[in-house]
Amino acid sequence: MELTDADLVARVLADDDQHAFGELVRRHQSTVRGMLRQLTRTDIALADDLAQETFIRAYKNIRGFRGEARFSTWLYRIAYNCFREDARRRKELVGVDEEQWQGEQDPQTVDPGLRHDLMHALNLLPLHERTAVVLCCQNGLSHDEAARVLDIPLGTVKTNVLRGREKLKRTLAAWGPN
Amino acid sequence: MIDDETLDRQLREAAPYIDDDGFTASVMARLPAARREPRWLRAMILMGMTLLGSGVVYLLSGGGRFVREGVIQLSDFPVWLLLIFAFGCGLVVGAFAVILAIRKTPEVRDLARLRF
Repeated sequence: MELTDADLVARVLADDDQHAFGELVRRHQSTVRGMLRQLTRTDIALADDLAQETFIRAYKNIRGFRGEARFSTWLYRIAYNCFREDARRRKELVGVDEEQWQGEQDPQTVDPGLRHDLMHALNLLPLHERTAVVLCCQNGLSHDEAARVLDIPLGTVKTNVLRGREKLKRTLAAWGPN
Repeated sequence: MIDDETLDRQLREAAPYIDDDGFTASVMARLPAARREPRWLRAMILMGMTLLGSGVVYLLSGGGRFVREGVIQLSDFPVWLLLIFAFGCGLVVGAFAVILAIRKTPEVRDLARLRF
């Protein structure tokens, strides 16, 4: 029988079992790295550095995980904090860069394939909407869980998801059923 | 226009599984060293300290004479008073056990948050 995340966390807490923590990393590395790649706009090297930092922080602070939320939700929160701190360190004022970056992009660019267009459209969203869409629509978190991860009110998450979805739909209108 | 369900499905499919490709190994290599003392050693230290403390108390109290005297005094109490005392002790211990169980068990703790 496969151990649950809670069982593995319990082993780490009780015996400082690094093999159990390794299993947790193996299970969640793809989603955490995927989320960070979206947030860093597919800067793979930076995303992987932040993902490593996320898991190391998770290990050091695992006693702070009280099991009230899913382990993955707790990890997303650490990952998001790592991303924000890194952005601050690089003196990237997210809002300013967003506008600047969007100004450089041509939303009408036609890429071959829906997947490519979708990722392109996702990258065009402002950070707060992109983060909400990635967490809720792509990674399946509830609005409540996303609000905890992002440390913002539930209503703001709902608004960001709604606006992000609408923008994606508008950008991808050509792919819809005729 | 694409509907919400299709959009969410496309988003999930657009995020493929990322192969580990040595990622876990590099994280494990950067983890701080595990605590050295094993669990059994901590248990042995605790048990040793408990036994030592008990021995000291036993010797200092004149071979546990106070326990014998306490039991003799207790036997002089009326039966109904002893029953009330035992019932009260049971209630206090039971209440602590329930509180601890709720705090330690996420499933039970979550029940308290359910909205009916």
